[in-house]
Amino acid sequence: MPDKASLILKQKRERLISSLKGNSQNFMIEHTGMLDNYFQTCYETSLVGPGIRIEKNPYAIIALGGYGRKEQCVHSDVDLLFLFEHTVPATAEALIQEMVYPLWDVGLDVGHATRSVEECAEISRTDIEAFTAHLDARFVCGMSPLYTRLMSHLRENIIHKQSADLISWLIQTNALRHKHFGDSAYLLEPNLKEGRGGLRDYHTIRWIAKIKSDIRTRRDLEYYGYFSSDEFLSLSRALTFIWHVRNHLHRLAGRKCDQLYTEYQPKLAKILDFHSTEGRSPVESMLGKIQGEMEFLNQQLRMFLYELSHDTGSHRKRGPNLRTRNPKLEIRKGAINFASSAAIPGAPLLLMQIFEECARFQLPLSAEAKRLVKEFQYLADESFISSKRVVKLFEKLLMSPPGVVNALDEMLSSGFLVRMLPDFKGIVHRVQYDDYHLFPVDKHSLHVVQTLKKFALPEDSSECQLCGRLYQELATPKWLLWAGLLHDIGKGGAGKDHSKRGAIIAAVLLAQKGYRRKDIETICFLIENHLFLIKLATRRDINDEETAVFCARKIKEVTRLKMLYLLTVADSISTGPKAWNEWTAALLRDFFLKVLNILEKGELASHEAVDTVEKKKEQVVYSANTQKAARELDALFNVMSPRYLLYSSAQDIVSHIQLYRQLNDGEFVWKVDETPEVGTRMVTICAKDRPGLFSRIAGVFTLNGLDILDAQIFTWRNNIALDLFHVKPPLDQLFEEEKWERAREHLQAALSGNLDLAQALKEKMEAYRMDKLRATERPHRVVIDNQSSSFFTIIEVFSRDFPGLLFGITDALFRCKLDVWVAKIATKVDQVVDVFYVRDFDGQKVDSADQVSAIQAVITDVLEGSQHKENAA
Amino acid sequence: MKKIEAVIKPFKLDDVKEALNEIGIQGMTISEVKGYGRQKGHKEIYRGAEYVVDFIPKIKIEVIVESSMVDQVVEKIRTSANTGKLGDGKIFVLPVEQVIRVRTGERGKDAI
Repeated sequence: MPDKASLILKQKRERLISSLKGNSQNFMIEHTGMLDNYFQTCYETSLVGPGIRIEKNPYAIIALGGYGRKEQCVHSDVDLLFLFEHTVPATAEALIQEMVYPLWDVGLDVGHATRSVEECAEISRTDIEAFTAHLDARFVCGMSPLYTRLMSHLRENIIHKQSADLISWLIQTNALRHKHFGDSAYLLEPNLKEGRGGLRDYHTIRWIAKIKSDIRTRRDLEYYGYFSSDEFLSLSRALTFIWHVRNHLHRLAGRKCDQLYTEYQPKLAKILDFHSTEGRSPVESMLGKIQGEMEFLNQQLRMFLYELSHDTGSHRKRGPNLRTRNPKLEIRKGAINFASSAAIPGAPLLLMQIFEECARFQLPLSAEAKRLVKEFQYLADESFISSKRVVKLFEKLLMSPPGVVNALDEMLSSGFLVRMLPDFKGIVHRVQYDDYHLFPVDKHSLHVVQTLKKFALPEDSSECQLCGRLYQELATPKWLLWAGLLHDIGKGGAGKDHSKRGAIIAAVLLAQKGYRRKDIETICFLIENHLFLIKLATRRDINDEETAVFCARKIKEVTRLKMLYLLTVADSISTGPKAWNEWTAALLRDFFLKVLNILEKGELASHEAVDTVEKKKEQVVYSANTQKAARELDALFNVMSPRYLLYSSAQDIVSHIQLYRQLNDGEFVWKVDETPEVGTRMVTICAKDRPGLFSRIAGVFTLNGLDILDAQIFTWRNNIALDLFHVKPPLDQLFEEEKWERAREHLQAALSGNLDLAQALKEKMEAYRMDKLRATERPHRVVIDNQSSSFFTIIEVFSRDFPGLLFGITDALFRCKLDVWVAKIATKVDQVVDVFYVRDFDGQKVDSADQVSAIQAVITDVLEGSQHKENAA
Repeated sequence: MKKIEAVIKPFKLDDVKEALNEIGIQGMTISEVKGYGRQKGHKEIYRGAEYVVDFIPKIKIEVIVESSMVDQVVEKIRTSANTGKLGDGKIFVLPVEQVIRVRTGERGKDAI
């Protein structure tokens, strides 16, 4: 009775599943056997069955799909075919009820079909799923001749007639599946069945071999020459492991589940007995192993298909015409081979040369060649891998243009890359357990190199346009590519800060390869700082000039910055969609251009600038008496602007700090010093910054007849303005003290709004206006520059000097609602060059055309207005 | 219940997150957004090619809280996201009709 049989099956399955461990192959065979037993019992004890036979329509029960291949995992579907000699009788329904329904009740997913032989043939012609299921058909019980008939029917009428079509159909379906399931081997949650390197890849191999050679078992793959004995062993090992994982995953999930979801990974790693090693968590070790086996499976499929396409000779015409430059290497069936393995021990350089040809011809190594490379890799000893010729060859590979076949990939998969760069070993199949890094570290590193090289190809998107341009501007991309290859090499070890560790490892490795110290420094700098730009761009205020200056000072050189940017972009692109999207791209590019601007101007971040500033800081700190004072100074350095630190002498900085300490809660403090020899006065003003401060000071000086020779203003980040005015001494030097005192009062009044400077000045000018008439009038000029700085609009005014000029201009700026951040006022005889770094009151550059022309007009008005007055006089 | 949406500067995300954790806010939704307000876009020029930033990258935070928490949360976001400069962002408070936890079907306060 099926009911009883199903209960027995249920118990047996439960026992089998609960004892699941060790060899999955045995499990699947036993599992399959249990199902077979069930159907055999059913067949014999069926109540409905005999009725059907009496009607002279014998039937057989056939296992399809995975059940047919005896690969029945814990919760795999049971694919079943009730095969009838003639048209399916009405009683088939009852038969299904009797045999299949009890299985549903015990929790098995049964997919069944009832067809006649004719119908099977018909559906196989149109439906690839049905066709492949039939390819795996296996007789379970019933009328065995029916099964034989079905199989020969399929073979004669379908397979023989259109085997080529069927194969290309299978290949296409497989490619589509890969596309749909992505690069599963590298996704964080690999799909063991459908993904790249999943079981379906193996099925595809098996189906094709079945079509071509009618193989019966997996072992036949070797007997029919599709795989070498070694390869077959590796294949079996990989499959057994994947099945093993799949069985446990099914049991853990309690259902058919082929995607290794993150939630199951820790438990699974524990069940499968993975431990923490070399800084890898158990999950990372497990994912690494899975990745490795799936990669292998996928490689076998690719190799299989590759050799297949050359057997039929239909796909590629290359081959006989191509000649390698080296007679010991040859191209056969579209892949590169050693002409004879005997030549290798005598000429170990061949082990490198074969990859060189691989890059040149864009052809893969044959399976045989890879095997030979592996076997002879002992020849690549220490002196070999650091010999000049080998290093040169490797460099050439590294720089070869990006193509379909990546020679570095071939090197990695044949194990030779690890031989060349022993430190690479630590990152092979190194999987990172997070949802950020999609690829294992070794693949990722090669991907970065490839991405970098692709920058050189013409592309459309604007991101790549900039990258392409920068890439081409490099004198040689060699150092950048080395850095790309090695940037994550530190991830092989345990602990944090892989960048720093990577730089140390790379330094040793590159020194062994005989590179010059200067070049090694460049590469190591890139490796150590490969996360620097992206961190700053996302974690600091990129609209603050400080951030850009800080970054520029660390990087110091334009070329280094460009390389670092390219490395950052390539690294992010190759990490995964979470690390790179349009948003991040915009942020990073914006920041990069700002830093680049600063470095290209060279003013604030050149080597000299950095040195000068550091020296000054030291000198200033040296002046501090106590530890506490030194600490306070350090804090103050952080608020001083880069320009201030660069352009003020250490001595001045010390005295400015003293002045700043006197300010307390006041509006401003000032200090007047006599400039020795010249007899002029230096006025240093420290004040709470506010819009219009500068113009008021300038106005007060003019009002008091103090001619301004030049001026500088700096703004600290704690809202303190430091203004330095170089002025002619008062005419009446007897009462100089009083004069300064009055000026101070004026400024106080002007700042508190009790003095209308504009009005006061106008009256004063009336009195003085015909003072200085000039014979020659040089034209004045106002230049507004929005390109030189990413953070300020720079206004340059060229004019001849006249009293009240500076007040006039700065007051005009104030009326345009502009804040002056930096100013350099210089007077040469009667010619004035004024430079102002301004922003609007919101802190933004003023770059709309309207604003620019408005400013131009207002300042011109000031210049011409005064001229007009003078001329009129 | 209210939904609080805040658009902030990207580099302030960690500060805001931390500040909200301090007052016991357990969950939030973050998105990378772009836009502009008074802080306009700008352009950078390299070798004659213009790279225009029309929309400035920002982070949007969404938090659902009980009405009684709104003032506290808004204040926390405001202080932690503040740099005193243009483009610090904005905070919006919106009414929320209902919250349902997908897993359990819990509603209202329990589902926050």
